[in-house]
Amino acid sequence: MPSIEMTSPCMECKNEESILTIRRRALCSNCFQRFVAYKVIRRIEHYKPTINNNPIPQILLPLSLGVSSSVLLHIIDSVTQVRRRKPNTNKAYDLHVLVVDPTSLSPSDRTYETNFLAAKTNFPSATTFTKIPFHSIFEYAPDMKQIMLEYAGPGFVDDASRSNEERLTAFRSTITSATSRKDLDSVLLTRLVVAYAKHIACEAILWGDSDSRLAAKTLAGAAKGRGASLTWQVSDGMSPWGVRFEFPLRDLSKPELLQYAGISELLEGVIIPEEPISDNILTKNLSIDDLMMRYVVTQGEKYRGVMANVSRTANKLEPAKGVDDQFCSLCGALTGNVKGNDAGLTVASQFGNSQGSFCYGCIRSRPEVIP
Amino acid sequence: MAPTTCVNCKEARAVIIRPKNRQKICRACFLHIFETEVHETITSANLFFPGERVAIGASGGKDSTVLAAVLKTLNERYNYGLDLCLLSIDEGIRGYRDDSLETVKRNAVQYEMPLEILGYGELYGWTMDQVVAQIGKKGNCTYCGVFRRQALDRGAAKLGIKHVVTGHNADDVAETVMMNLLRGDLPRLSRGTSIVTDSGASDIKRSKPLKYAYEKEIVLYAHHRQLDYFTTECIYSPEAFRGSARTLIKDLEKIRPSSILDIVKSGEDMAALVPNQDSGKNGQAATAEDESAGGCGSANGRSSGGEMAAMEEQLASNEDAGSRETEIKLPKTAPKKAGKAGKPAIKTQTLQHCEKCGYMSSQAICKACMLLDGLNRNRPKTEINIGMEDEEGSSTLMRQMEKIQLTNS
Repeated sequence: MPSIEMTSPCMECKNEESILTIRRRALCSNCFQRFVAYKVIRRIEHYKPTINNNPIPQILLPLSLGVSSSVLLHIIDSVTQVRRRKPNTNKAYDLHVLVVDPTSLSPSDRTYETNFLAAKTNFPSATTFTKIPFHSIFEYAPDMKQIMLEYAGPGFVDDASRSNEERLTAFRSTITSATSRKDLDSVLLTRLVVAYAKHIACEAILWGDSDSRLAAKTLAGAAKGRGASLTWQVSDGMSPWGVRFEFPLRDLSKPELLQYAGISELLEGVIIPEEPISDNILTKNLSIDDLMMRYVVTQGEKYRGVMANVSRTANKLEPAKGVDDQFCSLCGALTGNVKGNDAGLTVASQFGNSQGSFCYGCIRSRPEVIP
Repeated sequence: MAPTTCVNCKEARAVIIRPKNRQKICRACFLHIFETEVHETITSANLFFPGERVAIGASGGKDSTVLAAVLKTLNERYNYGLDLCLLSIDEGIRGYRDDSLETVKRNAVQYEMPLEILGYGELYGWTMDQVVAQIGKKGNCTYCGVFRRQALDRGAAKLGIKHVVTGHNADDVAETVMMNLLRGDLPRLSRGTSIVTDSGASDIKRSKPLKYAYEKEIVLYAHHRQLDYFTTECIYSPEAFRGSARTLIKDLEKIRPSSILDIVKSGEDMAALVPNQDSGKNGQAATAEDESAGGCGSANGRSSGGEMAAMEEQLASNEDAGSRETEIKLPKTAPKKAGKAGKPAIKTQTLQHCEKCGYMSSQAICKACMLLDGLNRNRPKTEINIGMEDEEGSSTLMRQMEKIQLTNS
């Protein structure tokens, strides 16, 4: 067969024209997708089907309909489908997909129904495909009402006659600073996803955080006094609620996932385009999470490896054991200091003794606490 | 509008908004609160014992000047019974150190403390100006940091003192936490956050009583007590990681002033979670030469401006190499368990004396001597050779020309 002249052949298969360059390698579409998929599969290969895998592990994938979690779903779905086509193969897991209604998180005109349906149609391997609103946290985690009341303090009046939605909105609006609001929203969202996972008896949650996001979360966590929680907030392992947290996208950066999303047709109608963090916002009005994301993205253009190394570093920390192992009723972090940190700052030394069962990070975001 | 009264004493007029929590307070209350907070830091960490002789690492900058002033005040107010003195290191940076040393000399008179000045020139035979002339402006912070660390220890030893306090503030500690997260260096993160560092390689204890004090409050304190200090940053100091961390922290402080303290808190917790074997990585555990000391305005580090790029390059090439590797898998459980069981038997560093200078070191030759070796090997014999016509002379000259071109580029 005569060889076809190619201007820049794929460095992997050498049969196709390369379409993009990733980590200094020019690859064709197929090889690129395989490369990305490999990075993900490697992270979840412990869910291999075994002969006597009874009961089948139940796994939850929270889908924000953003780039990262959608790519994760796409990859896992294709792996599952390939596996199912093989004869005599047992199931490795049951995949449950959960979408928390994005409009209940931040009000917007955009509808997400079509995206949700597209995901459901395009990725049929999921056992269940569910959407719930943010305020259903009161249903799945019934103790949250009491916790919020305690947390918000005397300044907040909860009106039991109002709907869950209104009550959650009222609570969220007591928090005025951008940082604290974003911080608490992510705490509540985690609690909701965990509560749902427990509700349907899932043993693990596959979070769709890219390594850029994990790096930003690491730096932001440190900046918000939540350093001790990083061991489960950005590391693979057991969360305080007995559900495993896994981050299968930890070897892929946001730009790489964007590249992936750009060439896979199945993702086209699924992803809700993200509104970029505006450059015009004054730094002091940004939330810490946004500041860190912006930092990681801009630095990542030049120093991709250094940024990727941040979450790898955090992943090396050993799971925290507390002095008394009391956990924050809101976010699940230790309320006391980590064992071995005897001389450092404590909740009591910073905020006094009457802070209830909340941790340092949560008290910092409390409405009445001075920033 | 009536002037705001102090939220603390509710009498005097508030003239200060505390950077730490935006409280409006009067001058007297601010000074008192600042001192009390340092006192609490000292007592809760049991930093001193009565009768202890303590050397204050003094650079003439705001941090060490405030440290000296506060320690003198607290020593008298709470009867610590400390015997305080000032210890200064002369790095030999003209235009930076000359003036700041004058400040330290005045401080010694103002605070009635004895002063000891130790020069790099007399200790090592190289002033920083000469080091920079030799190796260029990049990477010289490594030399300065390693030399200063030893110099403080040697100075303290010379005075027969076993405890050196430095002016590291909360911003410095927060910076170290962020910098080492970015650099992926957990052992240094751990060491940077602890208030006392018993250096593994000498019996001299170091501590940072201003660990929880905000840089901005230190400046305010110095201003309101009209302390005599010197403000210039080191003239040699481009450093990527610390610079990047510093920018981040300045931004964080704008968003939430408490962030600096929150990072310190995170750092303290994370330090306790650093796996043991990591702290012995590359045999670089807490050796005296390893940790940099304060005093150098903007770069307490050991790295050059290209460090971030160099690390990026390193990581990328690791990854390239990784993709060329064939993974050979061993049976999964066995080696892991062996590793865990072996944990208590972590290789500890044995203290020995440097073969060259006799200073305590974890290696056969201490870091300062290693750096000095490199410097001395390349020291151009300028004055002797430059005018000579013979072959040797011209080749020396050629080498020097090459060097000049390199520095220029």
